[in-house]
Amino acid sequence: MNNVRLILIGLLIPSLLMIPYSIISFYTDFANKNPEPAQVTVSFQGKVYNAIEGKRAFEQYQCMGCHSIVGNGAYFGPDLTNVYKRMKGNDAALAAYLLSGVPAKGMPPMREREMGEEDAYRTVAFLKYAQMLDTNGWPNNGSWDRDGNIDGVQAKQISPSGIWQIILGIVFINVLIFIVIMEYERGKEEKHD
Amino acid sequence: MIEYPSIARTGKYFVTAILLFIFQMILGLIMSFDFVLRGTSNTPVPFDILKSLHLNVMVLWLLLGFIGGLYFLLPKEVGRDIKYPVLIDFQFWFLLLIGTGIIISELFFTGKNWWLVEGREYVEAGRFWDILLTLGLLSVVYNVGITIHERKRHMSSPMLVLAAGAVGSILMYIPGEIWFNSIIAAEYFRWWVVHYWVEATFELIAAGAIALILLSITDVRREIIEKYLAIEVALVLITGIIGQGHHYYWIGTPGFWLFVGGLFSALEPVPLFLMAWSAYKDLKENKKPMQNKVALYMIIGATLGNLLGAGVWGFIHTLPQINFFTHGTQITASHAHFATPGTYLFLVLGFAYIAIPALSDRTNFFQLRGKIGFWILVIGFLNMIIALLLAGIIQVQLQRISGMSFMEVQNILLPFYGWRTIGGVIALMGGLVVTYDIIMIGRKKIV
Repeated sequence: MNNVRLILIGLLIPSLLMIPYSIISFYTDFANKNPEPAQVTVSFQGKVYNAIEGKRAFEQYQCMGCHSIVGNGAYFGPDLTNVYKRMKGNDAALAAYLLSGVPAKGMPPMREREMGEEDAYRTVAFLKYAQMLDTNGWPNNGSWDRDGNIDGVQAKQISPSGIWQIILGIVFINVLIFIVIMEYERGKEEKHD
Repeated sequence: MIEYPSIARTGKYFVTAILLFIFQMILGLIMSFDFVLRGTSNTPVPFDILKSLHLNVMVLWLLLGFIGGLYFLLPKEVGRDIKYPVLIDFQFWFLLLIGTGIIISELFFTGKNWWLVEGREYVEAGRFWDILLTLGLLSVVYNVGITIHERKRHMSSPMLVLAAGAVGSILMYIPGEIWFNSIIAAEYFRWWVVHYWVEATFELIAAGAIALILLSITDVRREIIEKYLAIEVALVLITGIIGQGHHYYWIGTPGFWLFVGGLFSALEPVPLFLMAWSAYKDLKENKKPMQNKVALYMIIGATLGNLLGAGVWGFIHTLPQINFFTHGTQITASHAHFATPGTYLFLVLGFAYIAIPALSDRTNFFQLRGKIGFWILVIGFLNMIIALLLAGIIQVQLQRISGMSFMEVQNILLPFYGWRTIGGVIALMGGLVVTYDIIMIGRKKIV
């Protein structure tokens, strides 16, 4: 078969399949029962904020730079998909948590990042929407993210015993790597002779 | 010496790409200290800004390296010079300007202006920069397209694959720029950028470039290399395009993706294995003496990094039954830190080690320094990968299966984060050796 034709077939068949797959994912009865972001709202001082504004605030303050949402993002902080549940659905508590942060665990006070109360409530609306998503059961039952308790553990410092354990691991792995490299380089020299 | 004058303009692409890579490593190293010293030290720059810079700087140097490689390899293959050589310079400075703009926006405007910083992983650059970047990249597509259109010679399939990959990468930047109200649709299309880059278009660039480089440094018959390339590329596309499904398990998309995504992404290692195997076979059959050993090291590194990092490390957590527990843990970080530098860093370095000695007329350069740099990079990255993999396994067991809290597990993982930092320091030293080497090879002759 002609090479270019083979490549084109490889490109076209799956690309065309992605069209019905994408349609099924969003526009049919097969699609998961997800909430409409415009209808998920929280109110603060008489004003109502919906999850669309919330998504924009979530992006603007770069929450995904430390946390993950539906498991995507950074792993420096905990996953936020179910954080609204962990806060027992308390809008005011979650907004206050965002604004004051937890410096001892590495979360900056978002107030210092110029997040106002309005934006905090917008973000809360988004997080309320996030925990309503039908994520095919993720995260699993029995996991801490799912069962919804506030994380009371404080950040610790690395312990001396931990350092010694890890030094052992580092030495072992690096000796292995070094042996492989030396064998590779020696094998090549022998081939030249 | 240089047959086509315009390729002399590509040297700065590689040098800048490598300098930006060093910058990316320094950012990563600072972030790794944030993990180890959580809460105790106030780094001058917050973690999220470092993280977004870490990713955006990578995107920038990958694009620079690939565009430079494309401009460098294209003229010889089509038998004519680039149509608008001035654009090569202009695009370089334009991309650099946008890159500087993105970095400054990230540093000073995060959270202040959504048009300058968007805060979505990998596509953090704000709308304003997205649009400028797309325009700049489309001008690259135009310049390459018109050069290919007015070619003087039948174009070989490796070049076609390479050009298609580069053009495709540029076009795949666009889906990530569409605004969706729903997080599901936003994530759905954000992965089109990220996944279709690393599993489709960048993979085409890698396959095409490796084939071209093997053609130029070995005496293996052209038809054999081209035949293998066609099969590899067809398989990459068939498995990769629907293999996208492994990003759609838990984002709120229907359950059929678990089956479809699992099936196709489980097949993704097959073309990568074929790529590594055919390269191995070609190099074994080759009888032509090879001068540029460092470039060869980089290309072998890229094929093996692709096979192990993208193929094996991807496969271990791609099945939905496993990914249910590993999703959003350090396993993913281990995979990312193996697949991306393992494939694309070594590919860009391979381009640089072919282009810069040729451009500066120092083809018989001193090779030991480059080889040492390569090995230090490998040692550093392997330490980082293994530390993160072990951390990920422990995190999955404790946090996802036993149900310990996030912070409790992070405290247990501290020694592994320390190990990762050590790996990062080693990798940075390797990167500095390679950078010094490349600058010394190209000194006073390029840019």
